[in-house]
Amino acid sequence: MGGSPVGDGTLSLDGFNASATALVKRWKEIEVDDSLPDWTWKPCSNLGVPSQVEGYLALEGVYRDCGGSQIEEEDSSDGADVGYDTWVQSSSDNIHVYDFHVVYSHSYKVPVLYFQGHRSDGQLLTTDEIKQDLPSNSLKVLSESKWTFITREEHPHLSRPWFTLHPCATGDWMKLLLEESKVAYEEQSPRYLPAWLSVVGQAVGLKIPLELHCKS
Amino acid sequence: MAAEVDQKVVVHVRSTGDAPILKQSKFKISGRDKFLKVIEFLRRQLHQDTLFVYINSAFSPNPDELVIDLYNNFGIDGKLVVNYALSAAWG
Repeated sequence: MGGSPVGDGTLSLDGFNASATALVKRWKEIEVDDSLPDWTWKPCSNLGVPSQVEGYLALEGVYRDCGGSQIEEEDSSDGADVGYDTWVQSSSDNIHVYDFHVVYSHSYKVPVLYFQGHRSDGQLLTTDEIKQDLPSNSLKVLSESKWTFITREEHPHLSRPWFTLHPCATGDWMKLLLEESKVAYEEQSPRYLPAWLSVVGQAVGLKIPLELHCKS
Repeated sequence: MAAEVDQKVVVHVRSTGDAPILKQSKFKISGRDKFLKVIEFLRRQLHQDTLFVYINSAFSPNPDELVIDLYNNFGIDGKLVVNYALSAAWG
C-alpha cells in the first residue's frame, strides 16, 4: 500500500505480486529460448483454500544437458579423492531437469530463489551433482562462502528442503539496479523482477533472454 | 545473427558508490567480443575480483552476451554505458 519502498532495493508484498504478474505476461510476449518454459503463478493454499494474495512464481522443467563439460572439470578438481569413474556416466544421467521458484521473503522484503534439480528418472540431484551445473564463478563464490550463498533450506510453501540463494545482499544490489531510473516508484515494480533475475540467473546458470530488459 | 563485419563498440565505464574512477573510462571493443571481456577489463584495472557490473541501471548482463547485442539494444548516444560498483552480489 502507498509508496512501494523500491527506492531502498526492497519490495512490498503488493509490489512483488504486481511484478510477478508483469513478468508472467512479458515472458509470453518476448522470444524465449525453446528450452525455457513459461513462468506460472502458484497461489499458496491455506487448509486447501487458495490464497488471494500470497503465492510464488514457478519456472518448472528447465532441461540441462550436462554431458559436455564434465571431462574438462576433471583437471580443475585438485581433490585426489575424485576418481575417474565419477565422470563416466550413462547418457540418461546426463539430463538434469530444474525447477525454479521465486518466493517473497517477508523478513528481507525481497524475492528469494529456491531451486531443485532431478534426473530424468525423477531422482533428486545431490549438492555435488548440482555443482556440476553451476557456472564457474558460482563455484568460486561457493568455495569461499559456504553459508551465505547457496544453502539448503525448507521451501516456505512446500515444507521440503530446496536449494536457495541467500538474500542478505539482494536489497543492496537491487538498489544499484533501480536507483538511477527516472521513472516513478509505482512504475518500478514491474522492472524489479527482470532486474533481479538478471543477477540471480547468472548465479545458477539460468540464461535470461536479453529482450526481457528491453522496453516493451 | 552476428554481422560478418566486425563493428567496434565504444564502451563507457562509470563508477558508482565508492568505486574508483578509471583514468581511461572509454574504450573501443569488438562487437563480437563477449561481455566477459568488459568485466575482465574492469577487474584488471581495479585489481578487484568481485565487482557488480550492470547496464543502464536496469540489469546485470550475462558474461556470455555479445557486446554488439548489448549495444544494439541498450546503447545510448553511440556508446554502451556500463556501471560498476565494488560490491559482491553473493557471499
